[in-house]
Amino acid sequence: MIVKKLIEKIEGEAELNFSMHKGSVEDVRISFGFYRGIEEILVNKSPRDALVITPRVCGICNHAHLLAAVGALENGYENAGIAVILSNKARYIREFTLACELIQNHIKWFYMTILPQLERLTGEEGGENHALKASYLSTTITKALAIFAGQWPHSSYAVPGGVTCDPTYVDVMQATALIDETIRFFEQVIIGMEFERYLQIDSVTQLHEVQGDFGNTLHLLGTHGMAHTGQSHDRFIVFGEGLGMQSGKSIATTVSRVEVRYVKEWPQKGSTAKAVAYKDRIYETGPLARAMVNKAPIVKSLHKRYKDGLLTRIFARVHESTALLSHAKHLLQKLDLNEPSCTLESRLLADTFEGVGVVEAARGSLIHKTRVEAKKITNYEIIVPTQWNLSDGTEQDRGVAVEAMCGTRSIEEASFVFRSFDVCSVCTTQ
Amino acid sequence: MGTDKQEAVKSLFTAQSAKVDTNRGDTYYEKLYDQCRARLDALKKLAPINNRRDFRTVIEEEGLERRDFLKWASATTAMLMLPASFTPLVAEAAMVMNRVPVVWIELQDCAGNSEALLRSDGPKIDEIILDIISLEFHETLMAPSGHQAEKQLEEAIEHFKGKYLLFVEGSIPRGLNGAFGTIGAKAETFIDHLTRLSKDAAAVVAVGSCATFGGIPAAAPNPTDAVGVMDVVKGKPIINIPACPANPSNMVGVLLHYVLTGQVPELDSLLRPKFAFGYRIHDNCERRAHFDAGEYVEEWGDEGAKNNFCLYKVGCKGPMTFNNCSIIRYNEGVNWPVGVGRGCIGCSEPDFWDKYAYERPMANANIKAPTGGVEKTVDEFGLGLLTAAGVGIAIHAAASAVAGKKESEREEA
Repeated sequence: MIVKKLIEKIEGEAELNFSMHKGSVEDVRISFGFYRGIEEILVNKSPRDALVITPRVCGICNHAHLLAAVGALENGYENAGIAVILSNKARYIREFTLACELIQNHIKWFYMTILPQLERLTGEEGGENHALKASYLSTTITKALAIFAGQWPHSSYAVPGGVTCDPTYVDVMQATALIDETIRFFEQVIIGMEFERYLQIDSVTQLHEVQGDFGNTLHLLGTHGMAHTGQSHDRFIVFGEGLGMQSGKSIATTVSRVEVRYVKEWPQKGSTAKAVAYKDRIYETGPLARAMVNKAPIVKSLHKRYKDGLLTRIFARVHESTALLSHAKHLLQKLDLNEPSCTLESRLLADTFEGVGVVEAARGSLIHKTRVEAKKITNYEIIVPTQWNLSDGTEQDRGVAVEAMCGTRSIEEASFVFRSFDVCSVCTTQ
Repeated sequence: MGTDKQEAVKSLFTAQSAKVDTNRGDTYYEKLYDQCRARLDALKKLAPINNRRDFRTVIEEEGLERRDFLKWASATTAMLMLPASFTPLVAEAAMVMNRVPVVWIELQDCAGNSEALLRSDGPKIDEIILDIISLEFHETLMAPSGHQAEKQLEEAIEHFKGKYLLFVEGSIPRGLNGAFGTIGAKAETFIDHLTRLSKDAAAVVAVGSCATFGGIPAAAPNPTDAVGVMDVVKGKPIINIPACPANPSNMVGVLLHYVLTGQVPELDSLLRPKFAFGYRIHDNCERRAHFDAGEYVEEWGDEGAKNNFCLYKVGCKGPMTFNNCSIIRYNEGVNWPVGVGRGCIGCSEPDFWDKYAYERPMANANIKAPTGGVEKTVDEFGLGLLTAAGVGIAIHAAASAVAGKKESEREEA
């Protein structure tokens, strides 16, 4: 048995130690050597400081952290007997901005991580500057986000009871135009086909219609025998609701309900990242999980043929962006600007409470738990998606990404499988 | 930035100011002009590093109008607080940016500043600059993994010894002998990594509030004993570009200034470039008229909020925060926090995470009113701030202190 070490640069670093057997990967240990102590920092602070501090956990999914933090406060208020009724306007605006963040993340991951690495791995380098495409798309879509949130990354415009912004019709028109511009980019560069037609695709047999960089990627994966590579436990979990999606878990395609109280974290040896499980079992979270739990037809069709392998996982993430774009546009159309932006007073409304905020972030379910006593935070827990996907696992189960990497034929292939999870070390270790 | 925005920037930064000396007289600028000329001519003789693409070809390929480019150059000249006669020089400097090597490292961070850099100033200039800057090493943007990345970094610092600009994102954890953050296969601590890389850098640029003042990781109780670059690096020119995230315009501005003059820009006592941090948010705030008229938002979503009134009473820290975001704004100038009624959280000031953050009105925050301590930390120009507006704030602050007290009494009751 040979052990090989690899340092992955993924918005920070992860160390991967591979055990190789007869030329393929037998086991992997993933560890992180990075720590800031954000949960410790939150203790003894004003409960609302979480709205400013937690987004700074991550420069990529900061908005999801803000919404989870505000969700935890609102849930805490409700638990303390204070009615929290958001206007539809506030809910739609929050959802819209979250959708924008997910889209920019997915496409940046696609162009800056997946495509270049896949080209290198298959020896089919096109010499195109994919980073510029990523930059164009994420610039465009985060402008739409900033119209309501003020800036991206690190905005703090969501507050208990709603949002601080009071957009005008001109703002909504501007945001709509930016969404349309993003859709055009999809049509011309990413999928190479009409957007509406793409949305109707619901079976593997129609996938040949997809052109552009996405079509090319699916083609590369297929022709290099990687479609079945990277299968894991085929167990998925989603805790957040919204964005047109429901929560639940999927085990071998059977979907059932979930409750956050069964989520448990524990420390892992030799790593600053904690592991997490649901009723002692390991689940995958993220776009593939959302598609499986919500039974997205095309992803189910791919899953039937390729299980939870590389092709299905990569497809699910890019595909989700198209569904989100469509949803985002719909949200803008539904906005009634005459509704109030915020329905709660800005002062702290309860001295002692406990609350949980759950949001579907780009990489999967994000959970914030806050405990407040005498107007101070006494405990704050942040459970991030990458913890689900990258943990070492339990005694019965390997971790999700570890299971997916086992059996791959080289370190390079394993590394590609690893990155197909869109990992983020800064979130994981906080 | 749109055209109107660019014009606004120009008019602002060429205006007379009590705080920053925007007109130093003809003799000064003539001498500076000659220096810049000589510097650019010398740079032009060098070949682009590693065959980086030429700015002119990129502009043509991207279909960018020369007129738009010159507009951008003229706005940037103004942002750098140089006279309009420097515009052609700034344009030239942008073109030879591929001659100055840049190494970008991430330490105890969230990658937010890299994210911000990715969506720098428009139109299209951002993409071009990203393509042109001789970014010899950047983990996230280059995405090479493992030993490949480490090798690339080592080669870059050896090859460009003494010449590269080191951009640092993230704070430096000193606790447990640096064990809270390590890098590479040999697990070099962030402290050692930064010390080693800064040794042969021409200058070190700390980007974002973590790299400048320790940022969120340094918030009480500072579990990892995190500090900023200036607490670790000694004997090197350091430029601080705080804010969370730092404004990409200011990152590009510092780089351009270095290309143009070969020197670090004029800094305040916190090592922040005066061209970006010589003004308070409040000075140029779009809601300033409402402050002067005494019209405030009292609660999120109230009538005042609908009318874009001043956010001072809901905790805006604009009056004591030095930064140019009220002019430059974020995300290609689309918006900024005050624009969505959120108020400034003072993210470019030291200790913002403990003292300024969230909507605590000033009186409830652990900071002194603007007539007292805050200005003293921003050099002599800060002392010149006590204009009518400054006095106005003091009065409001006192009123607010009373209001705040009442509120806390009410909460206790």
